[in-house]
Amino acid sequence: MTRRALVVYCHPSPTSFVAAARDRVVAGLDASGAEVRLTDLYGEGFTPELSADEHATHLDAGVDPSITSHAENLMWCDTLVLIYPTWWSGQPAMLKGWFDRVWASGVAWELPEGANRLAPRLRNVRRVVAVTTHGSPKHINMVEGEGGKRTITRSLRAMCHPLCRTSWLALYNIDRCSESERLMFLDRVEQRLRR
Amino acid sequence: MCASVSNNDTVHAAVVLAHPRADSYAHALAQRAVDGLQAAGHRVDIIDLYADGFRAAMSEAEQEAYRGNQPILDPLVQTSADLVRNVDALIFVYPTWWSGLPAILKGWMERVMVPGVGFTFDERTGKVRPGLTNVRHLIGISTYGSPKSIVRVVNDNGRRTIMRALRLSCGFGVRTHWHGLYAIDTSTVGQRAEFAAHIERSMTNLR
Repeated sequence: MTRRALVVYCHPSPTSFVAAARDRVVAGLDASGAEVRLTDLYGEGFTPELSADEHATHLDAGVDPSITSHAENLMWCDTLVLIYPTWWSGQPAMLKGWFDRVWASGVAWELPEGANRLAPRLRNVRRVVAVTTHGSPKHINMVEGEGGKRTITRSLRAMCHPLCRTSWLALYNIDRCSESERLMFLDRVEQRLRR
Repeated sequence: MCASVSNNDTVHAAVVLAHPRADSYAHALAQRAVDGLQAAGHRVDIIDLYADGFRAAMSEAEQEAYRGNQPILDPLVQTSADLVRNVDALIFVYPTWWSGLPAILKGWMERVMVPGVGFTFDERTGKVRPGLTNVRHLIGISTYGSPKSIVRVVNDNGRRTIMRALRLSCGFGVRTHWHGLYAIDTSTVGQRAEFAAHIERSMTNLR
């Protein structure tokens, strides 16, 4: 069966290293024969702020009509790839807003009457891959608690298939690493997405 | 220097509030925090991100300006930056979503805590130095949909972003305080009232 991959890319600059990583992700997925849908949050001018109306109806199933396609893509894919720079130990606000608004009731979860634990709905998602860059070295991120990594591998993953695999592809200390280290990282990203 | 700064008992606090609805419990908590601070004679400034129409996403121009001499391009961001450089206490009030900060608050950190505000790059060593050495109290007040046991399992990422990542930008002597109300959907009116009263008391007791 053909893999269905949703790639969510988040960086304000089209010439960034993260944009280069996105191209290698797509190349790897194409080579594996996957069907790919690419979301460029900055490119399409996604609104990351969850609105008062959305909050008032957040227990009702569904998303705001303006972001229906995002919810459909999320419910369609079996592989989710998130590509972003790590800022303040987590996802950029733009990507966090995509979680806040698209991972909604009736899409990612439902809350049974009287419960306080979300029941997962994204059984279609069997693999989540994070591709990210860090300005700081790994040990600093460990001191900071690796919030971004765990938001994906724990909070979001809990809404996916029970056997969902997660992959963490991260380049640390990007401002100080060499050209060859950066190129090696890109090769590694493409290799991992081929499988 | 004005008198209130030289007086050690008076705290100048900034409350940063992130909730889209003015009738929310988060707004009520922020108000109780302000009441508590004012009751003790402390000085408070509130930043209500949604009411201000704060833009969450760092723009391409801001990203380009990040390493330059003028990384702040938005007057609203400048107002926050001027404030956080002068306060003794930084207080965040928000609902935890996906174990972290609402996008608008995460974006506030990204756009306000730029080089020269949140930290500085040491030109000689290339190291990052804290910029918020004026902040003596770093305080988080948050509500959670999940019970505390689940919050622990998923790593309480928003709390760590503030209490660890942002803490590294404060001085060595900074004190951190965390106030969480868990499982809010199944909490009682009494529990919420008690939590709000606890917030007011602890703000009054800030020194």
